[in-house]
Amino acid sequence: MKKKSVWPRVYLAFIFIVLYAPIFYLMFYSFNSGGTMNNFEGFTLEWYKELFGDKRLLIIVLNTIIIALLSSAISTIIGVLGALAIVYMRKKTAKQALLSFNNVLIVSPDVIIGASFLILFTMAGIKLGFTSVLLSHIAFSIPIVVIMVLPKLQEMSSSLIDAARDLGAGHWDVLSKVVLPYISPGVFAGFFMALTYSLDDFAVTFFVTGNGFSTLSVEIYSLARRGISLNINALSTLLFLFTIILVAGYYFIMQRNSRSAGAGVQK
Amino acid sequence: MTKEVIIRFDHVTKRYDNDAVVLDHVSFEIERGKFYTLLGPSGCGKTTILRLIAGFTEASEGDIYFNGKRMNNVPANKRQVNTVFQDYALFPHLNVYENVAFGLRIKKVKNSEIDRRVKEALRFVNLSGYEKREITEMSGGQRQRVAIARAIVNEPEVILLDEPLSALDLKLRTEMQYELRDLQKRLGITFIFVTHDQEEALAMSDEIFVLNQGKIQQSGTPTDIYDEPINRFVADFIGESNIVPGKMIRDFEVEFAGKVFECVDQGLNQNESVDIVIRPEDLEITSWNEGKIQVKVDSQLFRGVHYEMICYDEAQNEWLVHSTKKATVGEKIGLNFEPEAIHVMRLGETEEEFDKRLESYQEAGYEQ
Ligand SMILES: Nc1ncnc2c1ncn2[C@@H]1O[C@H](COP(=O)(O)OP(=O)(O)OP(=O)(O)O)[C@@H](O)[C@H]1O
Ligand SMILES: [Mg+2]
Repeated sequence: MKKKSVWPRVYLAFIFIVLYAPIFYLMFYSFNSGGTMNNFEGFTLEWYKELFGDKRLLIIVLNTIIIALLSSAISTIIGVLGALAIVYMRKKTAKQALLSFNNVLIVSPDVIIGASFLILFTMAGIKLGFTSVLLSHIAFSIPIVVIMVLPKLQEMSSSLIDAARDLGAGHWDVLSKVVLPYISPGVFAGFFMALTYSLDDFAVTFFVTGNGFSTLSVEIYSLARRGISLNINALSTLLFLFTIILVAGYYFIMQRNSRSAGAGVQK
Repeated sequence: MTKEVIIRFDHVTKRYDNDAVVLDHVSFEIERGKFYTLLGPSGCGKTTILRLIAGFTEASEGDIYFNGKRMNNVPANKRQVNTVFQDYALFPHLNVYENVAFGLRIKKVKNSEIDRRVKEALRFVNLSGYEKREITEMSGGQRQRVAIARAIVNEPEVILLDEPLSALDLKLRTEMQYELRDLQKRLGITFIFVTHDQEEALAMSDEIFVLNQGKIQQSGTPTDIYDEPINRFVADFIGESNIVPGKMIRDFEVEFAGKVFECVDQGLNQNESVDIVIRPEDLEITSWNEGKIQVKVDSQLFRGVHYEMICYDEAQNEWLVHSTKKATVGEKIGLNFEPEAIHVMRLGETEEEFDKRLESYQEAGYEQ
């Protein structure tokens, strides 16, 4: 076997340590009975107990999850329809224009999106709160879903649709029995991406939450500003674990789908 | 069986986005229960004709009739036609069984009935026992057969097959040719079969349409087209042939390769320039003196059933000969042929004029 240089591995290890060290540091001190992040005095679950005793915080967690699920579900539906519209659009120029608009939305800074939503909602007279947060999350998730679904749609041979029509399928059957099953890996990917974006979004949400309503990331921000409490550590730890579970679930679904995927391109 | 026209094309023209014309005023009739073949080189418009019949694309001009009704605007899913696609177009998310069952499920056929018909269709294409397989787990030839099963299971009035045997090895291909032909006869379904393999076309069809550059060059039974090709293109495309320039001296007399020969053609102008076709298997090798044409053997290949020789006469015309007798390269030999073996083609003659001329022979008492 050829001896490989160790440096690439050292480099990778270094990068991962830099990225993950703060998170593990945070998680470690969430079990500290000392109450600070300086010296570890003893193991305790006190902060977690406090967390679960905090009704307000639990409601915020619930809000966050509801917003995430609702916004990703709705944006998945709209995004899939949008991707379909883009792919089956006759005019080349309109197609290009729509795609460019979509991509601009993805790369534009969250702060600008948040600020413009704030202006829009106040002008439209929509009260800041649940609705405004939900709407803005839906809005920034749609382009993500579109981006995840488009490649699958484009790779799908148009003769599959012809074949379905040939066998007597109407528009609805073509969509539900052929197109959607074919692009389902992309749809799942889009849904999970939207879910994670919504769960951890801070910038946009920060602009459009009103007084009575808050999501986790905004709440953590305000807690952190108020001063150090190991509550935040406990909360962050739980959030991190939740994300890991989400990612694992996502990979699991992808694995299952990958067996049937990739069959469409062979001749 | 009475003649019943099931599909009729009336001056159908197709162009894509105002580009060059893909089909140019194509007209033909398809009779119920027959086996038709569209034959032509790549890009001549064969798939386009099938797509027009199936309804995946619309004619730019002209009318398409189905059972006497104009169907230009009938959507594909409402047409009594099923297609075997050139790229198979099997659904990758469904297994073999569900792919074949797709059409029946759409039509809400009873489950027991679906089961019976799917199994029968799979048995026909020699794929019994493959029901549970994923499409990705099938070879190219097996996929092609799934595609055939998926079309025939619906028992439509017309089946369109776009080069359905192209991925099969010779043995399986020949087997499937027999079985398809047999199935077509048994079910009485009209088949429109696309191929660019002329042997396949000759072997399977009731009628062949030879296409080139969006135009039907000639249509007729395999023997008609083989024996009486209308022009250089058809003669060249259908089977191997020797085509040399010649001149019609008068009725029953034609000049080529520097000599005058007796022939069976008539009704042409005196001294009209023509193309002469002689099939390689109609040429017989003899000694230099006895032959009607004197040639020198340039090369020789053993083809199994026969020897294939390329010879040149003194005017440097090339002669392809199929013979069971062997010659030696460089040898000077004579070639013999019957007057009937000479086929005279007028330059630029249309199919209608050609047919009229053939009829006039028959009126004159000449039977093949
Ligand atoms: N969607 C399209 N847009 C523009 N041109 C097209 C389109 N589809 C086909 N053509 C053109 O139409 C012509 C005929 O195509 P067609 O697919 O009918 O050929 P074919 O006879 O089936 O050839 P092959 O034997 O290679 O399958 C070709 O020149 C092709 O480039
Ligand atoms: Mg084709």
